[in-house]
Amino acid sequence: MASIIKVSNLNYCYPDGTIGLNDVSFEVKEGETLVIIGANGTGKSTLFLNLIGILEGSGNIEVMGLALNKNNLKNIRKIMGMVFQSPDEQLFCPTVMDDVTFGPLNLGWNNDLVTKASEKALELVGLEGFGTRTSYHLSFGEKKRAAIATVLSMEPRILLLDEPTSGLDPRSTSMFINILYTLKSQGKTLLIVTHDLFLTQEVADRVLVFSEEKKPVAIGNYNEILNNYDLLLRNNLVHQHRHRHDEVIHEHEHRHGYIHKH
Amino acid sequence: MKFTESILERLDPRTKIISFLLIILCLILFPVKSVKDYGLFFLLILVIALLSRVTPKQILKKLILLIPFILFITMLIPFFKEGHTYWSIKIGKLELDIAYEGIQTFIKIFIKSSLSILLIVIASFTITFSDFLKGLEMLHFPRLLVMLMSFMYRYIFVLLDEAKRLMRARSIRYFGSRYIEQFKIIGYIIGILFIRTFERAEKIYSAMITRGFNGEVPCIKCFKFSYFDILFLSSIIIFLMFIVSGLFHKMGYLNINNPNIWQAL
Repeated sequence: MASIIKVSNLNYCYPDGTIGLNDVSFEVKEGETLVIIGANGTGKSTLFLNLIGILEGSGNIEVMGLALNKNNLKNIRKIMGMVFQSPDEQLFCPTVMDDVTFGPLNLGWNNDLVTKASEKALELVGLEGFGTRTSYHLSFGEKKRAAIATVLSMEPRILLLDEPTSGLDPRSTSMFINILYTLKSQGKTLLIVTHDLFLTQEVADRVLVFSEEKKPVAIGNYNEILNNYDLLLRNNLVHQHRHRHDEVIHEHEHRHGYIHKH
Repeated sequence: MKFTESILERLDPRTKIISFLLIILCLILFPVKSVKDYGLFFLLILVIALLSRVTPKQILKKLILLIPFILFITMLIPFFKEGHTYWSIKIGKLELDIAYEGIQTFIKIFIKSSLSILLIVIASFTITFSDFLKGLEMLHFPRLLVMLMSFMYRYIFVLLDEAKRLMRARSIRYFGSRYIEQFKIIGYIIGILFIRTFERAEKIYSAMITRGFNGEVPCIKCFKFSYFDILFLSSIIIFLMFIVSGLFHKMGYLNINNPNIWQAL
């Protein structure tokens, strides 16, 4: 399949001199789910902000054949939606419905189309009938799901999700994973930033590992990466710890969704 | 539509905004000779209250919260108004005169503001804030103001929560220190709150522009004037005209110019 996003030699430096991204290059194929994992502060979120054109680094970014620049920005944002990490920043309108309709109305769709798309988006995230609720009164899990609906209503082909499961309880997380499955089955391209290896295991087609040097060190399918214990340990994604089962004390790496022999 | 909705709740927010604003303006702007004349306004507000189906208990609860504020502001009026001395207090060398006219103004302003607040309390029960904002926007209120109000409504509680968390974090590590240091810490908290708000604003803005924001806030126009709205609005206006013309008649302002006009009506 053709690659839908192409990033080459992307560098970004924050105004205070901190390096945000260091020579990042990768490609994303249409319809795949690429999970970007890395420890805190490795530039994952910075990468997203660069992809959506809020931060401007040096290097080339191409989305569906369009180079990311001022002229193409609007078109690219029509294709690519981003869900921010904190839902309080994503939901800024008085009611949930206002927020969900904000994007499509800005795109200039007519009212029927907007209502239809918004209701579809709310239904997909399991929040039917929440339209008139005030965002502030939602629970955190509901807010996270509403935040996704605000972008889904614009029917983007590519979705950038920044830490979608951070702060969610196990039930909300699995609900979230179901939403991601639905989106995958619809053929959307998903880019997910996380350090939740469980989520990675569930949804990833390919995994990109970011290192402390603010650049990708490995890209490959899920098994290749998550079984490469050295790689994960080096990049602070697993840690070694000692524990005991009845009489046996032993030391091994710790990760979720991984069953080990005793 | 729910059957339990009161007549007032079913009205278009625009109708409510216009009619309530008109009532308050009439109440405040037109001169009244005796306190009894406010009875007419009270009657009108009573009818609206009945239509809204808000229980008196709910209204009183909110009113009791707000009346001390009015009292606090109006209380000083009798001391400043000059006129026939009704009562004088001596505190040391200071001599305070309370004028008869002052008390009259005090009562008038107190009743005026209480009635206005009564109406606003009823309004707050029947219009949700987001509908109110939409109504304002559709009445072509300045968009910037409406947006500011909507953001305020959305984020004031988020901000309060954040302040509360900061204060809590301070208090669990606070074991009593000098007074001046306390001020310093409160200064830090305010500063951090400001920086966080500022950064949050930037993030919200980027969340807005990624969804195609270009300076306009579009909204689905879901309100329609029904014949019922027109009925409500016109009856309010007619009633207000009656009151106002009656007041003018009583004051004798128009009698001087044209003595026949009121007889003709």
